[in-house]
Amino acid sequence: MKTEKKANITTIPFLGDIILSGSRTLIGIALGLLTSGILIALSNANPLVAYGAMIKGAFGDIYAFCNVLVRVSPLLLGGMGVAIGNKAGIWNTGIEGYMYLGAIGSGLVAIQDWGLPSALHILLAVIAGMAFAAAWGLIPGYLRAHRGVNEVTCTIMLNYVAIYLTNWLVSDAGFFAESGAFFPMSKIFQDSAQLPILLRGTSLHPGVFVGIIVCLIFFFLLKYTPFGFRTRMLGGNPNAARYSGVDIKKQIILVMVLGAMLGGLGGAIEVIGLRHRVYSDFVTGVGYECIAVALLAGGNPVGVIFAGFFFAILKVGGATMSIETGVSSSMTSIIMALCVLFVIGVGLTDNHRVKKKSNKADAVAVVKQKEE
Amino acid sequence: MSYDIIISWLQATLRWSAPLLLVAVGEIFSERSGIINMGIEGIMLCGALCGIAASFYSESILVAVLATIVLGAVMGLAVAYLTVSRRTNQVVTGLMVNMLATGATNLLFAMMSETRSTRVGTFPIIFPQAMQRIPILGEIFFCQPISTWIAFILPFIAAVVLYKTKWGLNVRAVGDHPQAVATAGLSVIKIKYQAVICSGIFAALGGCVLTLGEVGYFASGGMTGGRGFIVMAAVVVGGWDPLRTAIACIIFGAADAAQLRLQGMGSVIPYQFLQMLPYLITVVALTGMVKSSHVPKTWGAAYDPDSH
Amino acid sequence: MQEPKFALQMTDITKRFPGVLANDRISLDCKKGEVLGLLGENGAGKTTLMNVLYGMHQPDSGKILINEKEVEITSPSKAIELGIGMVHQHFKLVETLTVLENIVLGIPSNKVFLDLEPIRRRLLELCQEYELYVDPDAEVWKLPVGQQQWVEILKALYRNAQVLVLDEPTAVLTPSESDQLCRAIRRLTSEGRSIIFISHKLREVVEITDRVTIIRDGKLVGTIPTPEATQAKLAHMMVGRPVSIDRRPRQALQQKKPVLVMKDVNALDERGIQALKNFNLTVHAGEIVGVAGVDGNGQKELAECISGLKKPVSGTISVNDTLITDVVADPKFIGFIPEDRQKTGLVMDFSVAENLIIKEYDKEPYAEKRLLNLQNIKKHAQDMIKKYGIKTPTDTVKVSTLSGGNQQKVIIARELDSEPILDIACHPTRGLDMGAVSGVHDVLMKERERGAAVLFVSAELQEILALSDRIIVLFRGEIMGEVDGDTADAFTIGQLMLGQALEEKT
Repeated sequence: MKTEKKANITTIPFLGDIILSGSRTLIGIALGLLTSGILIALSNANPLVAYGAMIKGAFGDIYAFCNVLVRVSPLLLGGMGVAIGNKAGIWNTGIEGYMYLGAIGSGLVAIQDWGLPSALHILLAVIAGMAFAAAWGLIPGYLRAHRGVNEVTCTIMLNYVAIYLTNWLVSDAGFFAESGAFFPMSKIFQDSAQLPILLRGTSLHPGVFVGIIVCLIFFFLLKYTPFGFRTRMLGGNPNAARYSGVDIKKQIILVMVLGAMLGGLGGAIEVIGLRHRVYSDFVTGVGYECIAVALLAGGNPVGVIFAGFFFAILKVGGATMSIETGVSSSMTSIIMALCVLFVIGVGLTDNHRVKKKSNKADAVAVVKQKEE
Repeated sequence: MSYDIIISWLQATLRWSAPLLLVAVGEIFSERSGIINMGIEGIMLCGALCGIAASFYSESILVAVLATIVLGAVMGLAVAYLTVSRRTNQVVTGLMVNMLATGATNLLFAMMSETRSTRVGTFPIIFPQAMQRIPILGEIFFCQPISTWIAFILPFIAAVVLYKTKWGLNVRAVGDHPQAVATAGLSVIKIKYQAVICSGIFAALGGCVLTLGEVGYFASGGMTGGRGFIVMAAVVVGGWDPLRTAIACIIFGAADAAQLRLQGMGSVIPYQFLQMLPYLITVVALTGMVKSSHVPKTWGAAYDPDSH
Repeated sequence: MQEPKFALQMTDITKRFPGVLANDRISLDCKKGEVLGLLGENGAGKTTLMNVLYGMHQPDSGKILINEKEVEITSPSKAIELGIGMVHQHFKLVETLTVLENIVLGIPSNKVFLDLEPIRRRLLELCQEYELYVDPDAEVWKLPVGQQQWVEILKALYRNAQVLVLDEPTAVLTPSESDQLCRAIRRLTSEGRSIIFISHKLREVVEITDRVTIIRDGKLVGTIPTPEATQAKLAHMMVGRPVSIDRRPRQALQQKKPVLVMKDVNALDERGIQALKNFNLTVHAGEIVGVAGVDGNGQKELAECISGLKKPVSGTISVNDTLITDVVADPKFIGFIPEDRQKTGLVMDFSVAENLIIKEYDKEPYAEKRLLNLQNIKKHAQDMIKKYGIKTPTDTVKVSTLSGGNQQKVIIARELDSEPILDIACHPTRGLDMGAVSGVHDVLMKERERGAAVLFVSAELQEILALSDRIIVLFRGEIMGEVDGDTADAFTIGQLMLGQALEEKT
């Protein structure tokens, strides 16, 4: 009986699958929020008040909401970068590094006084950032495609290399670092290389819109182009992909580099939009949050938008929650981590069930295949 | 000038490597059984805080160590449950455990404001003053707290356990061919759980040694500074063998100690490049290592008990 | 007290899996010091029965008696305790460990430390006794396959197995190694141990066993003493007499135009053992060549070589004089129905429509100028659904929700609709219900009529006999014999499958 129900839901075209996998995700998120609520209660605060404060902090007024929009920008871009990798079956955990490289690349252009019109300067900076990040993504991409090196370990190692590289560039590299600064930072970006503020009094820059557009572009690419088809085939069944003639090595490198470029774009926008300098350790943790975003989104570009906003709301709301209820804003990381852990913990129960409900005749096939 | 610096560098090397060695020992067992515990960074962080807190409140290092062991076991159990029983993706599980740990330690530490200004007792140096004053050797070896010595003996013990005990054999077998182990009548799941819990315990102890080993305080926001990942790198470079991994840890510890000294010195090579060194070495090692038979065959894969 | 006569008795063992009755009241017994042959085709139920014996499955009903005392075997460790040793066809050895370490793995002991010395001594004793020599300190991955087989056997002997199950033990052995094994078996039985010898190699069965039990379709066919078993009788019992072959009516081939030509092909399997040996085959347009044989005699490698998934060590494979590797993914040349739908043939997460175009998604009319033409894809899917009768609510559902039969139809639609000149069908009816099976047979006959060359690999003798113009039987990577489809009978094929060459016709 249960199996029939499942079949019915999935037969709703397009939405059916989203509902099914979405419900798993929602249950996980609900459990995560519930557990966090219990933790909040344990620390002598009222969870409902705390969550309420969070919502107020994110949506209370236009300035608060603009904060959310600012915070969500790198999450959307980085999250999509990880998600496109997931669609092809690889874990591009190097987002942290790509963001640094994107910042470096765009920073190098942004500090130059070339007297360019703003639009052009920004464009060049962004391109430079993405190029640097793409090169950074080429390394693990090549190693995975041609040498079978596990891309997770490789990218995480490179993340740290990127951190220290940035550190050096903004501390001691004369051509880049701000001399005599109390904190390692790059020279200030030229005015022409700073993203415009969209609403006076806030720090809202166009990053969020770029992020949303990018997600929509990838949604389109994945659904409507042969490239997307190929990518999904690779992630769905590499054997079938090989049989149908897909150049697997090329595809892997392509997807990793694309993911890297998105991460680089995220980092570039973060520096030219928000801070106007490259600071040491400015990413700190956002890269890993992007992985969480991609996971909650189930690799789905539209899901990335939702998950990204969810996390941004948590982060911005967390500050208000801390002020109003005394619950430390570190609670935000805890909530995010718990949500993801429950989602992945819960998710597999379903896989288990799906496996066991094998079709009658397929069971025969399985048994027969075991007989040799 | 340089004479003293080298001695102090060597001494620091041993001290900085100690936490790495502890964490590495545990992670080797976990990875050998086929489970990558990427959460050791987070567990290390929790152990660091736990050590300080327990030591402060109980005023006993022994209690602190015991508390850390329990904490590590619990966290290891949680990771084991997710990765072995629920078969979640090991990478994501580990990374989220790290995120959880970061948030939790910041939160708890903020609540423990009393501990902030006090320095708690650290691991004692067990050698008599006379030995400590021996030139060169005295400084490098006999001024080390007991935790360093334990950390250095541990890889040898781990090697013995891994290669010469029944349990070590089981762990190695489970990582390479779990079906063979199942056919021989053993419980694959139980062995994996044990290995992962082991990695949790040692990761926590590593963190405890980090804070109680010398500094005696905890600072929020990155106390462990990526050391968990350095350990994972060392395990790869060391080919999942305790002694070779220990050497890798010492080399990485040396680089760490060196870069700290170079910071003040203004040398030609920027110290940041020394910081990069362990990670670059690992990437190179990964590239060369793929064809070797050292990688546990089921590294990172979920175990499906129904498949024979 | 009388010594028990029977070392092992399995009475009325029944084991059901969802949808299939793997063992239907099977009984067998094995006396002490006896070698019992266990014979049966793939899917007959042998493996399940042995898994029940080894404690991997619990029977739904039935009894097991060891030394004439009823026992319950709840796990492999219990089976080992009771003196049952199992040597699997696919080795359960940890390759990175040494021989000694593999032997000691899982042996209960109170000691924390491995004490390998007494194990080494005992192992060498065993090696001497049974003349199966291995180097105790060698890492298993370095050993030749024959020696790995000895390690598996020594593992069981070390645990003092009194009932030893050998599953296709000579599959990887050279003739001289097989003789070695024979001698070892004789020595074991002279000690009073019992051996269950699973094999489909007739010659060995006749030489080594004392009695033979034959299983077919989950049921016991019978147990006969080996001296009374002629090759003919055994083959007959194993394949049975099909009630009606249901031979498909056909027009005789007018002319023989070779399409697929395989010359002197040698290929290795994934263990590096020779799977195809000097293989020569020609398939002509408009003919169905059926490939029969017990699974594991090279069928998998044959299909992999022809479909381009594996490169043979030597020899050539060509289709219409073009090398196969150049035309594999070309839908006009080859249509390939793989053995494992879910692993190779389909992308389970893709929709029905998407699975139908995985080979042509970037070509017209499904894609124009780097964009997928979703409308054309949908139309194509709907056409195919109608034409091939694929039962699915819409073309957009995930193919994983379809039944096995309908999944197969998707593959058939995709591969055969482009009217390729060569069809390769591997176990195409595996896991399908009767109606679907009949449908697949219809498709294959239609392909034949159209003029395609069809290579048809199957473990179901019935359908091979029903459809093939010519039948070849694979045995150890070589063609044991070829018979004409019209005059073939199950019995002859059965003999060939057991490695028994046909008598020369005068």
